[in-house]
Amino acid sequence: MDFERPDYQIIDHTADLGIIVKGADLKDLFIRAAYAMMDLMVEGDIGEKGVRRELAIQGDDLPDLMVRWLGEVLYLFEAENLLVAKIEITSLSERRLESALTLVHFRRGHHQITREIKAVTYHQISVERKDGGWEARVIFDI
Amino acid sequence: MDVKVKKIDEWRYLIPQTGAMKVPGLIFSSPDLMPNIKSDQSLVQVANVATLPGIVRHSLAMPDIHWGYGFPIGGVAAFSMEHGIVSPGGVGYDINCGVRLVTTALVAREIRPRIKELVSALFNNIPTGVGSRGRIRLSVKEEKKVALEGSSWAVRKGMGTEEDLERTEDRGVIRGADPGAVSERAYKRGHDELGTLGSGNHFLEIQMVEEIYDQEVARVFNLFEGQLTVLIHTGSRGFGHQVCDDFLKEMGAHVRESGFDLPDRQLACAYITSEIGKRYLSAMACAANYAWANRQIIMHWTRETFEKVLEMSPKELKMELLYDVCHNIAKVEDHVVDEKKVTLCVHRKGATRSLPPGHPSLPEIYTKVGQPVLIPGDMGTHSYVLAGTHKALEETFGSTCHGAGRTLSRKQAIKVARGRAINRELEDKGIYVQSRGKTTLKEEIPEAYKDISLVVEAVHMAGLAKKVARMRPLGVIKG
Repeated sequence: MDFERPDYQIIDHTADLGIIVKGADLKDLFIRAAYAMMDLMVEGDIGEKGVRRELAIQGDDLPDLMVRWLGEVLYLFEAENLLVAKIEITSLSERRLESALTLVHFRRGHHQITREIKAVTYHQISVERKDGGWEARVIFDI
Repeated sequence: MDVKVKKIDEWRYLIPQTGAMKVPGLIFSSPDLMPNIKSDQSLVQVANVATLPGIVRHSLAMPDIHWGYGFPIGGVAAFSMEHGIVSPGGVGYDINCGVRLVTTALVAREIRPRIKELVSALFNNIPTGVGSRGRIRLSVKEEKKVALEGSSWAVRKGMGTEEDLERTEDRGVIRGADPGAVSERAYKRGHDELGTLGSGNHFLEIQMVEEIYDQEVARVFNLFEGQLTVLIHTGSRGFGHQVCDDFLKEMGAHVRESGFDLPDRQLACAYITSEIGKRYLSAMACAANYAWANRQIIMHWTRETFEKVLEMSPKELKMELLYDVCHNIAKVEDHVVDEKKVTLCVHRKGATRSLPPGHPSLPEIYTKVGQPVLIPGDMGTHSYVLAGTHKALEETFGSTCHGAGRTLSRKQAIKVARGRAINRELEDKGIYVQSRGKTTLKEEIPEAYKDISLVVEAVHMAGLAKKVARMRPLGVIKG
């Protein structure tokens, strides 16, 4: 992965697992949230060389957009065995996100999966301005 | 939000109806378990569920209740078919996550030296862990048949018997499944996951019956002390997760449009009579049926593995299904409320059905003693078999607990497990574990769960099911 261990906090949820992520701006926040989720799923280096794919997501508001965005990244792994190695967000508004992803094929033996994330939940979801930047809170179903 | 709780008696606690709550909350617990329950947000969740339209009598919680997302885990809520809602979050992502128990003619003591060999063979024959793809690849057309037929699909393909179906809740199929209500994405995720165990708290366990509490019922359940049993705990895999995910998103939008005021977005729901409510129930039935086929297939491979490793015939092994129960589901059932017969949609999220003797939904062999209720422990702790009761039918819409329930978060569990060789510790206790995931064992350490004996004691004393037998794990495969 082309970033240092992503900066996020784990929420102490009894049954599942949540994260609090901070970003300098909204794009930064969405990118960091996706990297944080990948970090919970895969340990170590994902690799860099992969296929590029454009991905656009629509949502009703920022929290909905966040759940759908992370859900989409999770789906790529679940349905297509693809891990997200690199993210570029090309455009972002309250209801739409456009991105260009670099995707690497999951290989058993090479990639070390740490845990299964079943889904990205709406439980206590929040995306809000905080301390001059942005903060998101997301709980996953494990 | 601060939730007030009033003790009714040793085993029952009431959350009085306040604010937007439409009914009171009723928690089945014990003085030993209550402090732990109060320490997380699960009681707020019980109160939140009580605000949903059409809820009948109580928002209920079983003694294994813990903080879930939306609904608490260990929560039960019944809704009126005319004025009530159905909520995908009240079922959960793992639709029809459940348990089946297989009895054998084997004496555990005699098989003990072969446990490692059996566990390794099971680990090789049953795809386990994250991203595990199955031995079966399905076309969408065939997947739709699985979604319609449930367990009987597997039996039709030679993976089980008619008797297995009889001993499965609802014969392993929920009627009213409509494969057209399921998204392309769900089919895509489900096409190679049938016959896989998955990850997280799912497992397959070889056990020994350690103690019998009720000889008469145990005889009917074909359980004896020292007997070797096999327990399978898994659900509908990515197929079910996707169904839940799709409908949560769609219902989220529906809720905003129809102006429901929900305390948590994960409680997104729709009236049962609405088009989307009906469509969800049809899609949920498909996922439930997929899960039953999944457990049926895994049981079939377990039987094959035992035959091969132990070089014994099916007749000698007598690997019979005791029962299969689901513990994440919404079901349309007949109940009696205020002395009137009504049809309700009962959500059980982390709760098991518990039907009394004589109930028409029971297979004939169990009509005299009640439904077998299967309560899995987690790796390293005991599991229990109980029997359904009249009291459960009267007080909890025929529901009881489903497991131990977590007490440590995953973060805390990893901290507690740091530097420890969990495999080794378990082996010292006589439990041989083979697992795929790197952190699974640490997150699922025995200390992460409540003491299951306290949970079982609480439901037994409250009369929501009665104790029949306790099993001890000997070998486990985990994701």
